[in-house]
Amino acid sequence: MQRIINALIQYRNSILYFFLLSCSILFLSKKSKYHKTQLEAYGMYATKELYNLNYELLNYFNLKKKNEELLKENRKLKELHLKSNSLALYPNAFGEKRRFPFKLKEANVIKNSFLNQRNNLIIDKGSVDGIKNEMGVISKNGIIGIVNSVSKNYSRVISILNQEIKINVRLKKSNALGSMYWKGLNPLEFKIEDVINNVSFKKGDTIITGGMSSYFPYGIPLGEVVDFESNSQNGYYTINARLFEDPSLVNYVYILTNEDKKEIKQLQENFKDE
Amino acid sequence: MNRKSLILLISFISLLFFQIFVFNNMNIFGFINPMIYLVFLVVYDFDSDQTLFILVCFLLGFSIDFFSQSGGAHTIATLTVSFLRPILIRNSYGVTSEVPISFQADTRKINKYTFLSLILILHHLIYFSVVYFNWNAIYLILRNIFSTFIFSLILSVMVLNFYRKSDDS
Repeated sequence: MQRIINALIQYRNSILYFFLLSCSILFLSKKSKYHKTQLEAYGMYATKELYNLNYELLNYFNLKKKNEELLKENRKLKELHLKSNSLALYPNAFGEKRRFPFKLKEANVIKNSFLNQRNNLIIDKGSVDGIKNEMGVISKNGIIGIVNSVSKNYSRVISILNQEIKINVRLKKSNALGSMYWKGLNPLEFKIEDVINNVSFKKGDTIITGGMSSYFPYGIPLGEVVDFESNSQNGYYTINARLFEDPSLVNYVYILTNEDKKEIKQLQENFKDE
Repeated sequence: MNRKSLILLISFISLLFFQIFVFNNMNIFGFINPMIYLVFLVVYDFDSDQTLFILVCFLLGFSIDFFSQSGGAHTIATLTVSFLRPILIRNSYGVTSEVPISFQADTRKINKYTFLSLILILHHLIYFSVVYFNWNAIYLILRNIFSTFIFSLILSVMVLNFYRKSDDS
């Protein structure tokens, strides 16, 4: 208490000055309309700036939470999008209660290689989160690869940037099937083979997933036709394609769970046994 | 009440009176009203208590505002100058200001006029800034500061000389 009084006595001039100054500013704003509006304008400006700063700071610290929320929302939208793409194959998916067999889980990419001939990714979801081998992995604008090894918290994904992987694709307009694989240099440039010579298409046509494998649903847009040549000897086209999204730059991915996979596998094995 | 306080009281009242009834109505060139009441801030003792000084200056500015219907610009300017007076004293008199001396007796004239000019410039700067209170009027503010400062200085020097004579007698 003594200290407070001492400080008050020591700074009495400044305290008195600021007190009287605020009194006179009060008189000024009371007496003159012009000064009142000017003072209010400055006050508004200061409060606006303060609130802006506060808002921006809060926004910044909430970014991570917001990101997670957006990812979840995106996952839902992506699921709907995939469903709508596959309407041709699952005609009753929207109307009746018939289920769409693919479900999505979101994950972060923590390692992504693209310089080798056989590339792979590591993602931060594992067996704890229900990830199993041979699940498809897609991103917002294309497909990324297939899960090939799972640990407790992490999984390894074989990237489509791997010359041994062939992806079942279709040309969107003509619905012709083909298989696509990486050329090996530019992560955007792919080659499509096994498209039969009698279909017609042109440059810029969209390439989508074929839906013939149990990894990916029908109709995910992948890229477009850059150029093509018809090979008269074997009766197939060779098409150069360009992806919409560079798989080496992806940070967030979705893992596809196909609930019908067991059934399909069973059927195939039965066929082999016969 | 000693003689010094009496002189200060008389000068307070007379400066107030002259400022309100004479100098506020001069309108030289149509817009210049010299401010001579700042002489009070010069003649007030250096070594007296500053708290009382701030209060007296507030009262002085407030009275001028009150009688000339001018919001609070005089109060703010006079109050600020009175608060900053020790800094102005140090800048115009140097270390000798620490020694309690009678103002009119021993100091050199150049110091006194520097002190007076500093007080006038600071006061006019604050006064006209508050009166116009707008960045766009910066040219008007500077013109008013400069022209009013010249007339205030001339008249204040004349008033100060009168003090000198009355003090000697």
